[in-house]
Amino acid sequence: MNTQLNLKELERKAFLTTYQDGLWDLLFGLIVICMSVSFYRPASGYSPLNIVMFSCSMVLANVLFWAGKMFITLPRMGQVKFGARRRKRVLTMIIVLSVVVLVQVALFSFQLAAWANPELGAKLNESLPKSDAIGLLIVASISALMVGPSIILVAYFIDFQRGYSIAIMMALAVFLMVYLNRPIYPIIIGILIALPGVVLLVRFLQKYPLRREEASHE
Amino acid sequence: MSKAEENADLAALAEIDRLVHEPARLAVMALLYVVDSADFIFLMNQTGLTWGNLSAHMAKLEGVGYIEVKKAFKGKRPNTTLRLTDKGRLAFLKYALHMKHVFGDFHG
Repeated sequence: MNTQLNLKELERKAFLTTYQDGLWDLLFGLIVICMSVSFYRPASGYSPLNIVMFSCSMVLANVLFWAGKMFITLPRMGQVKFGARRRKRVLTMIIVLSVVVLVQVALFSFQLAAWANPELGAKLNESLPKSDAIGLLIVASISALMVGPSIILVAYFIDFQRGYSIAIMMALAVFLMVYLNRPIYPIIIGILIALPGVVLLVRFLQKYPLRREEASHE
Repeated sequence: MSKAEENADLAALAEIDRLVHEPARLAVMALLYVVDSADFIFLMNQTGLTWGNLSAHMAKLEGVGYIEVKKAFKGKRPNTTLRLTDKGRLAFLKYALHMKHVFGDFHG
């Protein structure tokens, strides 16, 4: 038995309890399911409806996540503010992710410019392999690389251990979405990501019932 | 060892801050030492103390100025937030160093 009081470990343990509710798993699972709507290219052609549906479902997933934190987690588990070290990590994550998002936006803008400008589009097509399958493989790989490392960074900075496996599954989902263009695969992966979250949430609700003592200040 | 020397050794134990030394309060202070602030429910869940127990210890620690207690409402629910004061932080640090010093070369 380790009888030493390890303050760093104590802080980490307290921090990790904030992931016991499974809501992060549910959020990432829902994001993957939302993305399957966005990336799907119907035979009739890609339409703005994809982006509208993706945006709406992403907003809904985030609203559900924060509502869960506010109305399920906090009243049961209580609220805690962690020290300067954690805040610094979150700030670093925001800066690093901002750079990543800027790169992604730049790539997306370039793609939009290629659509709008047929000359640029033709040049871009020339630079890609002639085979459609290899071209799609490259696009699918780039898309997966845009998602996977970002989630790994998030998992690292927020000390979310399950985040690493979620990142790999999300990257795989994006790859399959683009390469096979069948939403069923990402939907299955999204469900697989969300499933442990459901189990954790049920356990959390059993472990942390609502406390009645709070009716008055102690 | 002379009797005076023996008494001097035991005197080191008498200097221990009894307010921090009590296990439940020590647990509360250790937790508040590593976080910025925490509310009553979070501390209850982490320490395993009952409402009444934690409330009593909180009053003692607040009484000597080791913790700062803020009572507010979140929506319609009352919410009590606890934070270690500078005095409390120093007391916890002193206690830890004192215990380390007292049992420094203890090998059972």
